[in-house]
Amino acid sequence: MGKSFDLNLVFDFLPKLLSYLHITLLILVGAVLIGLLVGFLAALPRIYNIPVLRTLSAIYVSFIRGTPILIQLFLVYYGLPELLKTIQIDVTHMSSLVFVIITYGFSIGALFSEIIRAAVSAVDRGQTEAAYAIGMTPIAAFVRIVLPQALTIAFPNFANLVISYLKDTSLAFYIGVMDMTGRGQTLGTATNHFLEVYISLAIIYYAVCILLEKCFSLLETRMLRYERQFPVSQ
Amino acid sequence: MIRLKNIKKSFGKQMVLKGIDLTVEKGEVVVILGPSGSGKTTLLRCINFLERADSGAITIGDLSVDCHRATKKEILALRRKTAMVFQHYNLFKHKTVLENVMEGLVVVQKWPVERAKERSLQILEKVGLSQQIDMYPSQLSGGQQQRVGIARALALNPEVILFDEPTSALDPELVGEVLSVIQKIAREGITMIVVTHEMGFARDISDHVVFMDNGVVVEEGKPNEIFHAPKEERTKQFLKRITPEWRYSI
Repeated sequence: MGKSFDLNLVFDFLPKLLSYLHITLLILVGAVLIGLLVGFLAALPRIYNIPVLRTLSAIYVSFIRGTPILIQLFLVYYGLPELLKTIQIDVTHMSSLVFVIITYGFSIGALFSEIIRAAVSAVDRGQTEAAYAIGMTPIAAFVRIVLPQALTIAFPNFANLVISYLKDTSLAFYIGVMDMTGRGQTLGTATNHFLEVYISLAIIYYAVCILLEKCFSLLETRMLRYERQFPVSQ
Repeated sequence: MIRLKNIKKSFGKQMVLKGIDLTVEKGEVVVILGPSGSGKTTLLRCINFLERADSGAITIGDLSVDCHRATKKEILALRRKTAMVFQHYNLFKHKTVLENVMEGLVVVQKWPVERAKERSLQILEKVGLSQQIDMYPSQLSGGQQQRVGIARALALNPEVILFDEPTSALDPELVGEVLSVIQKIAREGITMIVVTHEMGFARDISDHVVFMDNGVVVEEGKPNEIFHAPKEERTKQFLKRITPEWRYSI
């Protein structure tokens, strides 16, 4: 263990750690964007029941759900370069940040796809029929009628997932990414005040989570305006 | 004019429609009666291909479609000549009353937004919802929602409007407002095919009545003939069961 506890160091460390917050947020935003794309693509074969693709997507989702994110990170970090080497692509000089974003993107994408799939099937079939009945094409009916409502239904789960992945980004330092936690690790080693570092980190992660939650809940209220039971104006 | 020829439809081994023929003249209001499970709703849904009939042919105006071979393009063209009012309204929940009515005009018929809005406002006035145009479906009563459903269908100026038990999901005290709106537009000469259990309404509104049972048309004719002098035993039984008070009024 380190030296005796010094509360002042906690405040000392805060700004030093905060200067790496953007790396943490970069991982999160990058992963969420990849995740949305991947999640959407993985959800489609299961919504439309496309053979083969449907099975592949189910296996992908079940694998991600059944393995720890840290193991996924190692698999991508050590496995992807080996895989790419066989097709003559050298990625040994690629930043580990890229591996982290890819891993988290695919990991979050699998869970997004489940959320999207459930949300799409939660929009009642009658509205699709009504869209067909007024002569809309299946694509127009999906994009204009089903999707906007599915996104609203999916939103609370989506928000929870983003927040939980924000915390999981702290694992990135295991493959040498200098994010907030990584910086904390070096600070701790240099000063031998690990507890103070972790308290500072806890404060920052907690504050960011609270902030995100607030933003999401504001957005949610806005998206759900059509569910309000009481008249807006009369 | 609408012509259905030998429409057949099975769900699994169950044959729901056993060869239905039906002709509806322009401006005519046809009411389809029959016990539940007789296939009336399925027949209606086959007309706009929400269900695809196994065989038969559908003609609406100048467009003839073979049910079995119909292409996506033909189905779309057919749907654009028809409109439907659903039992459970099926309004677009994330859109306001006005947007629900405009949707088809703007997205399907490619009207400019301003013109679509103008027409939608007119139609909404006709169904008595001018005060509710900015509300969402969740804020309306069942009767109001169904009137939006009717306005949405009416806005498209279709060759025929299909009504699938439009008042079955409504509280009894809300049925009247919906029926009177349907009656009002029937008088304007819009072609309609109506599946309903409201016998008094059916008698008042229809030019032609079709009685279906067990996937076949048992009897059809003028409302007076069907309601007051049915020829078939099954029709008599059905009418007796569903309107017991008539035993005294005949």
